Amino acid sequence: MITSTFTETTVQVYQVFIKASAEQVWDAITKPEFTALYFHGARVENTPELHVVHGPDGEDWGDGKTIDFDPPRRLVHDWQSLYDPDLAAEPASRVTWEIEPQDGGVCKLTIVHDRLDASPKTAASVSGAGWMHVLSGVKTLLETGEPLFG
Amino acid sequence: MEDDAVFKALSDPSRRLLLDRLFERDGRTLTELDAELEMTRFGVMKHLRVLEEAGLVVSRKQGREKLHFLNPVPIREIHDRWIDKYTERRVSALLDLKNELEESA
Repeated sequence: MITSTFTETTVQVYQVFIKASAEQVWDAITKPEFTALYFHGARVENTPELHVVHGPDGEDWGDGKTIDFDPPRRLVHDWQSLYDPDLAAEPASRVTWEIEPQDGGVCKLTIVHDRLDASPKTAASVSGAGWMHVLSGVKTLLETGEPLFG
Repeated sequence: MEDDAVFKALSDPSRRLLLDRLFERDGRTLTELDAELEMTRFGVMKHLRVLEEAGLVVSRKQGREKLHFLNPVPIREIHDRWIDKYTERRVSALLDLKNELEESA
């Protein structure tokens, strides 16, 4: 029997190994020309102060404070999904990206999405396929130079 | 790259059970996992280590506690790399059959 009871938790962790340098991974997650190729078409711009997301047609998909900006190791920013009114009504949560170089030209990329206690709809919308889609996209882009989808 | 480690980790029923427990409720300590399973603490530790090495479990320190999280990405990668490939061929074989039958009809 397949059980599908899954309690949404307020902390979600995703990890992937990517054959690329820490600098390449950093660029892929902080520069809009790269994120447009794997982040549902979104142009994500990260500066030491702000995390700004625009949809493919320039629509406002979210913005928030950058909490920690330490290239090419660690990026922490607010997360608020403005592309959906139900999600936009929930308080901001937090996303942490950690890049750890390993042996053999490989980096470990970890995403921790937390502070979701008061944002259950956001937690459900990003869990499972949501972040996995993004992580597989970053990996494929960096390892093959091609976007994963289309 | 880590396919062997992932398949090996998934080949053991106790480790699959641990993954199911984390799927039900993520971010647990060794003590919490240990209390629910009919396994020695040492056994749970050993299995968690294999799962961590395969990337299926990620542990993070939170205060004085070490929490274990299910990382579904390696399973997704196996799905993309293996399952998609074979089911796609089966679907296209069925489509070929359909075309052939319809042409000869």
